[in-house]
Amino acid sequence: MSIQTKAKSKSHIPENSILFEKIVPIALIIMGIITFGLMLFAAGVLLGIVQF
Amino acid sequence: MSINQILPFISTAIMLWFTVDVFQRFLVRRNPAFLFWGIGLAMFGAGSFAEVYLSLAWNKWMFFIWYLFGAALNAAWLGHGTLYLLVRKKWAHVISLILIGGSLFAANLMLQAMPKLDETIFTTSKPISEQYGTKALDAGEPVPAGAQTITTTYRGEEVTAVRGLLPLGTAVRLTTPFFNIYGLLTLVGGAIYSAYLFWRKRVMPNRVIANVLIAAGALLIGFASTLTRLGYGEFLYLGELLSAVLMFAGFRLAAKPQPEEVVVRNSIPASAD
Repeated sequence: MSIQTKAKSKSHIPENSILFEKIVPIALIIMGIITFGLMLFAAGVLLGIVQF
Repeated sequence: MSINQILPFISTAIMLWFTVDVFQRFLVRRNPAFLFWGIGLAMFGAGSFAEVYLSLAWNKWMFFIWYLFGAALNAAWLGHGTLYLLVRKKWAHVISLILIGGSLFAANLMLQAMPKLDETIFTTSKPISEQYGTKALDAGEPVPAGAQTITTTYRGEEVTAVRGLLPLGTAVRLTTPFFNIYGLLTLVGGAIYSAYLFWRKRVMPNRVIANVLIAAGALLIGFASTLTRLGYGEFLYLGELLSAVLMFAGFRLAAKPQPEEVVVRNSIPASAD
């Protein structure tokens, strides 16, 4: 009998981690808002509403 | 050599290392995402190098490289690499054709603008990002200190403008927001979305952090450029360097192999040996 070993490389986010429970979600929300704001700003430049 | 000349050199070196690393991965995996990232990074590096050059001396082709690759195209090409990870390949290929066509169109417009450059305005005492564009002043708007102005006819009206290298109304400048909006949406938006997906599924913590770093790095360069345009040019080179470091760190972290966690053992009958 031979044995085949199959390894799956799939790690999990640690439970009760301040980094993943607090810092990452807040960072994602803030960056999402900034990105949306920058896109509006760039669209404003494109449409001539914002002088840049 | 001042710190403002050393920082872009370091950014260029990091970008070169980053670009080689990404192209090597493309050669191994043949994934178009790596190809577009590699080209985008090469554009970023070329733009940084041109910026260094223009802080020392004038060369109109360095300006061509700086504006076309550094200011207009690189974010869109970088972001397009991310798009390959988020949508079906068929759609990504269609958008690739539009991106390539749009980039060639922008390059042609830039070539047409080259003979019209107001080279006499150039100085090595200010970052190139503070002197590339001619800006029309509104009625009653004060002239910024030290700025040279010109009175010209623009859209049928006589206007006073702060002189810049590219004349008022240069068509290539109109293409830049399209590329940058697309780049912002796909590079930063794509990284935020990817980080959110992994975070929601509670898997791949390295990819969550990696995408946060990539998004932060891309946003940082956008901030630094905006601050420069608002007159705070001293942050530009530091912003570029931090952006290069954050994106490179994010990319390396994303590509790092995960520890093996699940081992599945399958027994196979001896006859199959």
